[in-house]
Amino acid sequence: MTDKTASLTAEPVSAADGRRLESRAPTPWELRQIEAAPKSKNRIAADRAICTLPLIIAVIVVAQYKMTPNLNDAATTNLYTGFILLMTSLVLIKYIRSFFSKTSFERLLERAPLYSVGFLLFALYDYATLKTGILPLPYFPWPDRILNGIYEDRVLLLDCVKNSLILLFSGYFAGASIGLFTGLSAGLSRRVRYWVLPLVQVLGPIPSTTWLPIILIVAASLFGGSVFLIALGVWYPLTMTSMQGVLNIPKANFEAARILGASKARLLFRVALPAAMPNIFQGLTQGMSVACTALMVAEMMGVESGLGWYINWQRGWAEFAKMYGAVIVICVTFSIVNFLLSFIKRRVLRWQEGYWN
Amino acid sequence: MTARAGHISIKDVTKIFARTDLNATLVALESVSMEIEPTEFVSIVGTSGCGKSTLLRIIAGLETVTFGQAYCDGEPISGTNPKRGLVFQEHSLFPWLSVRDNIAFGLRAAGKFKSLAGLVDKLISLVGLSEFANSYPHQLSGGMRQRVSLARAIAVSPDVLLLDEPLGALDSFTRMNMQDELLKLWHEHKNTMILITHDVDEAIYLSQRIYIMSPRPGRIAGEIPLRMSYPRNRSSSEFVNVRNEILRKLDFAKEEQVEYNL
Repeated sequence: MTDKTASLTAEPVSAADGRRLESRAPTPWELRQIEAAPKSKNRIAADRAICTLPLIIAVIVVAQYKMTPNLNDAATTNLYTGFILLMTSLVLIKYIRSFFSKTSFERLLERAPLYSVGFLLFALYDYATLKTGILPLPYFPWPDRILNGIYEDRVLLLDCVKNSLILLFSGYFAGASIGLFTGLSAGLSRRVRYWVLPLVQVLGPIPSTTWLPIILIVAASLFGGSVFLIALGVWYPLTMTSMQGVLNIPKANFEAARILGASKARLLFRVALPAAMPNIFQGLTQGMSVACTALMVAEMMGVESGLGWYINWQRGWAEFAKMYGAVIVICVTFSIVNFLLSFIKRRVLRWQEGYWN
Repeated sequence: MTARAGHISIKDVTKIFARTDLNATLVALESVSMEIEPTEFVSIVGTSGCGKSTLLRIIAGLETVTFGQAYCDGEPISGTNPKRGLVFQEHSLFPWLSVRDNIAFGLRAAGKFKSLAGLVDKLISLVGLSEFANSYPHQLSGGMRQRVSLARAIAVSPDVLLLDEPLGALDSFTRMNMQDELLKLWHEHKNTMILITHDVDEAIYLSQRIYIMSPRPGRIAGEIPLRMSYPRNRSSSEFVNVRNEILRKLDFAKEEQVEYNL
């Protein structure tokens, strides 16, 4: 505690130009330093050890992979080693930066246990498959095999990612814009609500993938049918959330806008739409998860391209490594999509209380 | 008809609400009449539930009358008009807009984009929020928020500014500061001010004329002209006398209401 007060009062007095620190507010970083309880020597050493742990485990992962004998002398490549070393070097960069920046150190300290467990899981899985066969082939290929599967089919996989994303976003944007339109107008107009609400209540509970067998027969093009399927799945949550969003807007907001001379269009686009944004984003997030499910089902059952098709096709060849590879690619793709969505959400909703904390 | 705009005339207005909890109606205002001249500062005081907010909302054009008619500059009032600005008690700023954009809302609605930037900056510094121009409402204190509400309302230079207990949610120090700012704004803009308040001192400090309303049904119970010069001394004998007179009338209004019910 004495350290804290000293650092604030002693410095300005000793400053040569007689400048006082109190004359300006501390930056957020300085504030955290001032308010944080001082750490003991042991605590600092323990924190440093936690930060080093992922690197140590990474070394163990590589050592185990390269140095211990494989079951049945299975042939392996250096792709897995390269992958682990790439991951390790990313952690290493953070590790080096943590020596120069306190913020980086704190951030790494928070993440280090997660990285450690991640590397540890790689080591355990490699041990259970490649080294001992506790988890047997062909159902459980070792990581090196999965990575090689992805590498072999990289051109095809990239094409699949492209096709999946085109289908996903065609359906998503169509469903989201129609859902937004129905939801907003139902929220604003009692008459629209009278007709739209029963429709939504009947169609809403039916999972959109239920329609797939019918669409497979009726739709002129499978792509168009799948776009419709995904759009239908997104339309429902977006209609509900945007309608609820408009109904939740305090009356005072509309009244204030009317008093200031806002036209009908301005009330819709400058009041109802932004005020309902928190709800709309809730619908967009829900809709995205529905859309991803519908996409996979559509691709597995009918559409002859995309990641869902790829995984099903590899099943036909009993290529388990490539199926796992496809799962990883799907995970990465959808994670990026969701990250982008939440990034946009943060930007749009930065006016909301709590977003700065 | 005077040359200046901002004349409000209420003629025999009755407003009846349908009650949602019972299958019944409620008389909020009964045969209310008043004349408010351009550039006049008028206050309406009364206990809560006396219909004073309803009266203000009728002048704003947010409520329709049941009987009678309200006029602004000789025209019957129907619907809202930027000529009649309204400052709500609280929670009426647009939370998704920054201070600057909140104040600019009315100007944008009127299509005045040319003069916008300069005028908005002037208003922001007028209400002393230059440092917070880009902050969002939830980042401001209650007093700051009401300053923004005021600036937003006067940005479109209304002929009549309706104030619905704009200082009701503020602490007494902020309140007194804001009262002086209201007077400053009034002297600068020379518009008609109609203030609703249940703070008798506030009404006496600010206005040239005070209407006293009695509740259930809302009626005008009295009218007091004030001829004291500005700025007014809250502890002068004249001030205290007027306060006593108003309190007496408010009390009387209450007794009368009891008799009326019996």
